[in-house]
Amino acid sequence: MNTLEVKNLKKTFKLSKKQQKIERTDTKLKVAVNDLSFTAYPGEIFGLLGPNGAGKTTCLRAISTLIKPDSGDIFVGETSVVTDPESVRGKIGFLTSELKLEDHFTPNYLYIYFSRLHGIEDEVIEERKDAFFERFGIAEFREVKVGDLSTGMKQKVSIAISLVHNPDYIIFDEPTNGLDVLTARSVMDYLIELKEAGKTVILSTHILSVVDKLCDRVGIIINGKMKLCDTLENVLKTDPNNNLEEIFFELVKEDELLGGAY
Amino acid sequence: MRNIFTIFRKEFFRVMSDRRLVFTAIILPGLAIYIMYTFIGTAIGGEVEDIVEHKMIIYTENMPTDFQNFVYAQNINPEFHDYDPNNHEEIEEQILIGEVDMIIIFSETFEDDIDNLVISEIFIYFNPGEKYSNYAYGQMTNVISTYGTIIGLDRHGDSYYAFMVDSGIIMDEEKAAGQGFAMLLPMLIIMFLFSGAMSIGPDSIAGENERGTIATLLITPVKRSEIAIGKVLSLTAVSMMSATSSFIGIMFSLPNLMGGAGAELDVFIYGVGDITILFSVLLATVLVIVGLVSVLSAYAKTIKEAGMLIMPFYFVSIGLGISSMFSGEASSELWVYFMPIYSSVNLIIAVLTFDISLTAYLITIGTSLIYVTIFVFILTRLFQSEKIMFQK
Repeated sequence: MNTLEVKNLKKTFKLSKKQQKIERTDTKLKVAVNDLSFTAYPGEIFGLLGPNGAGKTTCLRAISTLIKPDSGDIFVGETSVVTDPESVRGKIGFLTSELKLEDHFTPNYLYIYFSRLHGIEDEVIEERKDAFFERFGIAEFREVKVGDLSTGMKQKVSIAISLVHNPDYIIFDEPTNGLDVLTARSVMDYLIELKEAGKTVILSTHILSVVDKLCDRVGIIINGKMKLCDTLENVLKTDPNNNLEEIFFELVKEDELLGGAY
Repeated sequence: MRNIFTIFRKEFFRVMSDRRLVFTAIILPGLAIYIMYTFIGTAIGGEVEDIVEHKMIIYTENMPTDFQNFVYAQNINPEFHDYDPNNHEEIEEQILIGEVDMIIIFSETFEDDIDNLVISEIFIYFNPGEKYSNYAYGQMTNVISTYGTIIGLDRHGDSYYAFMVDSGIIMDEEKAAGQGFAMLLPMLIIMFLFSGAMSIGPDSIAGENERGTIATLLITPVKRSEIAIGKVLSLTAVSMMSATSSFIGIMFSLPNLMGGAGAELDVFIYGVGDITILFSVLLATVLVIVGLVSVLSAYAKTIKEAGMLIMPFYFVSIGLGISSMFSGEASSELWVYFMPIYSSVNLIIAVLTFDISLTAYLITIGTSLIYVTIFVFILTRLFQSEKIMFQK
């Protein structure tokens, strides 16, 4: 089955002296994610929630093999990010604002370039490209340099490029950030389409309304730890008003009382 | 005014609070100049010392003992051999390849001529294309001139013109022209190769890291080593094109430049074989330079920092190129051909002076390939390093 399983993931970073001062600590290591575990299933959207600095991006970077776990592992299907990162990269579609496209090139050129890096046949590239460019209204901008595109169009092109290889696992980090309502809506609609196509989707966001609308399952990370992980339905049941925002604030408050940073 | 000060303070702090920038922007320039000038000074000093210490090998005919003693009295201790006209061609050949420095032929009646106030002729053969021969010629003509003045005063109480010196130049015209190129080109070639790599390398690697586009490439299933090799090869191709363009320009403008200075240099002395060998040496060199530039660019956080990290290596390489200006001939020491860049400088000289050795050529090409493999390996490791790729 196309599950994506994060198992006891731990990742630490070295703190500079300046960072130690800010964090008021003598320890040289900062634990970004600590013993994090969750599973995302095919045909579902898993929402990864958490305040800034909670460890969401670290977790997604580890899934995408950009960084290595200190301990624990992540299985994309049967493939481990620790032992076979190259195969994992071939299976996932990863989108984050950190991954930029070169301004100098056109969407058409970049789509073909990244498709080839994924080893896709020229015929299939053309088919997928035409379909995707049409679906997202990129077609008329296909020969415009990325540097000259609007923010929304750049994001659409980034989405197209992250999915050139039609991956079974899709990891999107804040995909609607900085987008106008219309573009955000088209991105969310597309995520639903991907889910309905049986893809395993992980969505990291701090926009709770997006979680409400899209996610089937939710994991809330605070200070590197998974505070709550269940179906959206069960999570909402924990609040009398079924209000996700209230649940989120309660968890943050609870962590503060336990000595967390928030 | 306050804004200017605020901006000044921020920009100044940006540099002073970054240890790497302090080192590369403030300490390094002085250090690089000191090292480069020291190196040039040592190179010039070493070359002069080498020529002065060289024992002159001179074939003489009818040399008066008095003159020979006079030479020894000047603290010049040449190795004198007897000249046999039957072996003239053989000795001439040795002068041509630099094994013998000169021939001095005195007239059979030299002593009598001086006594009878007849102007005698001294004939000297030498090779201005060989540094030792050229130096020996300068030294010996000085000695002869001084000797003439002294015997004039001694024997006739007057400094009259006792004899005249006539010179025969034994020189391989092509090799001499080649030496002209060998003095100028290695430094220029290394500069061009470096400039080509420096103009694109930092942008292609440090720039991609700075702009966040390298991460997009790193999440594809492509191996890091393939990314490293692809980058190095494309940078090599562009650097080669840039260097070739500069090289063609300089080859065709040199004759005009040197012609204007009274010398003659003809690029057409080199055949297809020479140019092919030269091209292969340049390719091997550019691979090493691009490898180095790529590694430094991957290590740097920004294009600016990459430029500063590359600069000292650029200075050192130019210094190595400059070293060729003083010797004009390739080193015969084999260890030289194991040193990156320096081996190329020497091999370029060897090609230009038609003095190439197969062993030196193979060592240079072989070690260059080893160096670039090491650089690609380091570059791959840097691409794998999350600290390097995601440091802010």
